[in-house]
Amino acid sequence: MKLNPDERWDLIDSIARHVVTYGEYRHTLKDAIGELTVKPMTGLPIAIAVMYCFWSVFGSFAGTLCTDGFFVKLFDGYWLPWLQEVFPGKGGWIYSILIDAGGMTNGEFILSDNCFEAFGVLTSGLFVAIGVVLPAIVIFYLMLTLLEDIGYMPRLAVLIDTVLHKIGLHGYAIVPTILSLGCNVPAVTATRILETRKQRFIMMTLLAIFIPCGAQLGIMEEVIPDLIGYVLLYLVIGYFIFGFILNRIVPGKSPEILIDVPQYQKPMMTNVRRKLWMRVSSFFKVAVPFVLLGCVVVNVLYLVGFIQWLGDLLAPVFVGWFGVPKETAGPLIAAFLRKDLAVAQLSVIEMTQYQMLSAVVLVSIYFPCVATFAMMLKEGWKELIGSVAVLTVVVFLYGGIIHLIGKLLGVA
Amino acid sequence: MKILLMGHPNVGKSVFFNRLTGANVIESNYSGTTVDYTRGYMSLDGKEVEVVDVPGTFSLDPKDRAEEVAVAMLKEAKDAYVICVIDSSKLERGLYLALQIMEEGYSVIIALNMDDVAEDKNIKIDNQKLEQVLGVPVVSTIAIENIGISKVISRLKDAKPVDVEDITVMRAGMNHCGRCGRT
Repeated sequence: MKLNPDERWDLIDSIARHVVTYGEYRHTLKDAIGELTVKPMTGLPIAIAVMYCFWSVFGSFAGTLCTDGFFVKLFDGYWLPWLQEVFPGKGGWIYSILIDAGGMTNGEFILSDNCFEAFGVLTSGLFVAIGVVLPAIVIFYLMLTLLEDIGYMPRLAVLIDTVLHKIGLHGYAIVPTILSLGCNVPAVTATRILETRKQRFIMMTLLAIFIPCGAQLGIMEEVIPDLIGYVLLYLVIGYFIFGFILNRIVPGKSPEILIDVPQYQKPMMTNVRRKLWMRVSSFFKVAVPFVLLGCVVVNVLYLVGFIQWLGDLLAPVFVGWFGVPKETAGPLIAAFLRKDLAVAQLSVIEMTQYQMLSAVVLVSIYFPCVATFAMMLKEGWKELIGSVAVLTVVVFLYGGIIHLIGKLLGVA
Repeated sequence: MKILLMGHPNVGKSVFFNRLTGANVIESNYSGTTVDYTRGYMSLDGKEVEVVDVPGTFSLDPKDRAEEVAVAMLKEAKDAYVICVIDSSKLERGLYLALQIMEEGYSVIIALNMDDVAEDKNIKIDNQKLEQVLGVPVVSTIAIENIGISKVISRLKDAKPVDVEDITVMRAGMNHCGRCGRT
């Protein structure tokens, strides 16, 4: 026998009356904190403080402590010189790919003196993966996991709900957005918590274009610490502007939601540890092969002269429209494989501060990395084609706008 | 034999799943952590049994992609046992889904999870009476602390399809129960 909803609720009511007794409810400290963090007057300042803490810990742990304090010294001081010394065939193509492409000055082969310039698989590849990205990802996921297990995320969703409605989403879109700051790949799957196809499309497109992943954030902290704030500002502005436009042009509905705000909980250390391990290891299974492969591909393309050719070909667009040097063609190819690698590569190209800013923003908004791409395909090829179309328009439009802003400010 | 873990979002299905199968799926304190299903295995009386962590759903009328996955999982496993995980402090709405699943003819066992939260809120549920009314096993659990999980496993064999008509009859009987004096 099947019941209709009314009959079912009637039945439940009478069952509950018989089996449940409600005692007097005491207002606990947990409830009080819960309310303080969700009411806008107190909740918003707390949310800003939480995000600020998140960012400072991220930067100081990953960048200052681990990378600068330890890995740079290890890799530049010992690993690179040692490999440069013992690896045979200096100046040959295998040496260039695996160890150090070096540079020619006055007809003499000069070795690189740091792991960003060397760009070998065993030098820059390992350094980027282990020295820069590993600490960034570990600390990012540790903090995210704590926020998740405490139960803070739905409260953040409530606070930001109004703003996200302006771009066709709702508060819960903060979940894929924040996950995406760790890695875009699981974030694409997390868009499934949104109700309509329109919302999922907008979310997927925005995160693929405007949200830098943890690896990329880590490397930006490392190589352009003075500019990272501006890069993020451009990305956030882009996220909202293009979200606003997409909301207007994409057909479909953006329904309201009811958010279930759970009680705060003390995070269980076993769960935190396990979750951290799962996320970091699954991230690395995807990341490390692509970083290493990226080094090989880029080096080979340099060696055969493809990147110089492409740079010359695209020079009018790069120099004229985007206002960046034509050498950025190389990093843009690398960006398809790994964005962290691309930023590392950009950092050793000679250019002005504003050009660097524009180039890093371009690397971020241009094509999602191949792993994200594959994930989006899994969610539907129509969506993927749509996203790529939007992306192409955005790169040209926004890239041009950024150049224009630089010109108007007199810095480009 | 196949066991599905079903229930509302954020009631602890993934915690249950990890405890039952020793697997590692992501657990968090918010709705929508699991958006796809995960399969795992546990041994029951020496046999390997498949356990599926199903995304949270409020009802069998899906509202988003994750809920669609949940409903599809249920529909394709006609002879599955369903462990319906309910947040003890929100019994009523949990029962709604449980009844829907029972109406579809599945063998259901109810896990009243987060018993500690209900206790904090001073909510008491009479398990035995609930079991008697519904005709399916009811077990209190605190999955995150591994409390009650083995009891759920041991009572799986008591789960059987129930006709909701019997429940309505039972309820009618309770409403006119002279001995307990309540209506």
